[in-house]
Amino acid sequence: MANHSQLGFQDASSPIMEELIQFHDHALMVALAICSLVLYLLTLMLTEKLSSSTVDAQEIELVWTILPAMVLITLALPSLRILYMMDEINEPDLTLKAIGHQWYWTYEYTDFKDLTFDSYMIPTADLPLGHFRLLEVDHRVIVPTGSTVRVIVTADDVLHSWAVPSLGVKTDAIPGRLNQTSFLATRPGVYYGQCSEICGANHSFMPIVVESAPLPNFEHWSSSLSS
Amino acid sequence: MAGEGDSEPGKSFKLLGFLDVQNVPCARESVLYGSLGSLVMGLGHFLATSRVRRSCDVAVGGFICTMLGYWFYCRYNLAQQRIRQRMLKEGMKNRVLFEGSYLDPEKEQTGSERGDS
Repeated sequence: MANHSQLGFQDASSPIMEELIQFHDHALMVALAICSLVLYLLTLMLTEKLSSSTVDAQEIELVWTILPAMVLITLALPSLRILYMMDEINEPDLTLKAIGHQWYWTYEYTDFKDLTFDSYMIPTADLPLGHFRLLEVDHRVIVPTGSTVRVIVTADDVLHSWAVPSLGVKTDAIPGRLNQTSFLATRPGVYYGQCSEICGANHSFMPIVVESAPLPNFEHWSSSLSS
Repeated sequence: MAGEGDSEPGKSFKLLGFLDVQNVPCARESVLYGSLGSLVMGLGHFLATSRVRRSCDVAVGGFICTMLGYWFYCRYNLAQQRIRQRMLKEGMKNRVLFEGSYLDPEKEQTGSERGDS
């Protein structure tokens, strides 16, 4: 989860999020170069005498056409690479359905047994000491570590959005529509997210908690829940 | 204990308020090499031509080109290193999984050696 004053990304827990962070660093470096140039030009213009005798400026016209085109290519190529990587067919090991309601999530594991449960936020009054306010839920989504998980997201009433920043996932939950996303949790841990589409009074109080556990632990949990 | 861990973990220095040069891989070296390149090119141009304004332009251009040039070079090497790390991790996992079984690649080699002798 994010710290109280955190502005940057959370640590990546999936390969896609690692790539997104790399791309973000690359984009920031390009932005630094552009800002340096603009700051210098600004300083130059402030110290230059103004002149109205410009009639022909072929060279500068060429420069400020070619240079932005190169900048756009530098940004577009890695961006498109990640975009297509996100849409790769990756043969998921597990399919999970996430259904948004006002104001909680329902999860369904229907691959092997019919496993369905609701996930409500734990109110602050009932929160155990040391747990995270407005982020903890009564029933977490448990997924096996290192396995590709397909998530089918939809909603029952209004628009919601299922988002977990450290896994690099954000998918809109639209009533009457099934949206698909997938992720791979590379390490065991607990990953927090929050509803990311305004959905009413308690929009801020329907968090998402994904717990990545080793496969034997996941199997034990799913069998204990279904029995 | 005194002297242990002088720098705080996660401490960041953001250039122009947004680029964290301490925690982003290759960023610090890119900016430092860019500054060095800028100094060398700007000073060299001034010593050769004695034109101040043009030398400043060359210095700024040199900074941008050197910084971005090293950035691409460093990130390319970093990407290759990450791919090699992933392949190594996968190989180690497969070795542990398949050691001693019919899928063990080392067993195939010893099997062919016995066949030759």
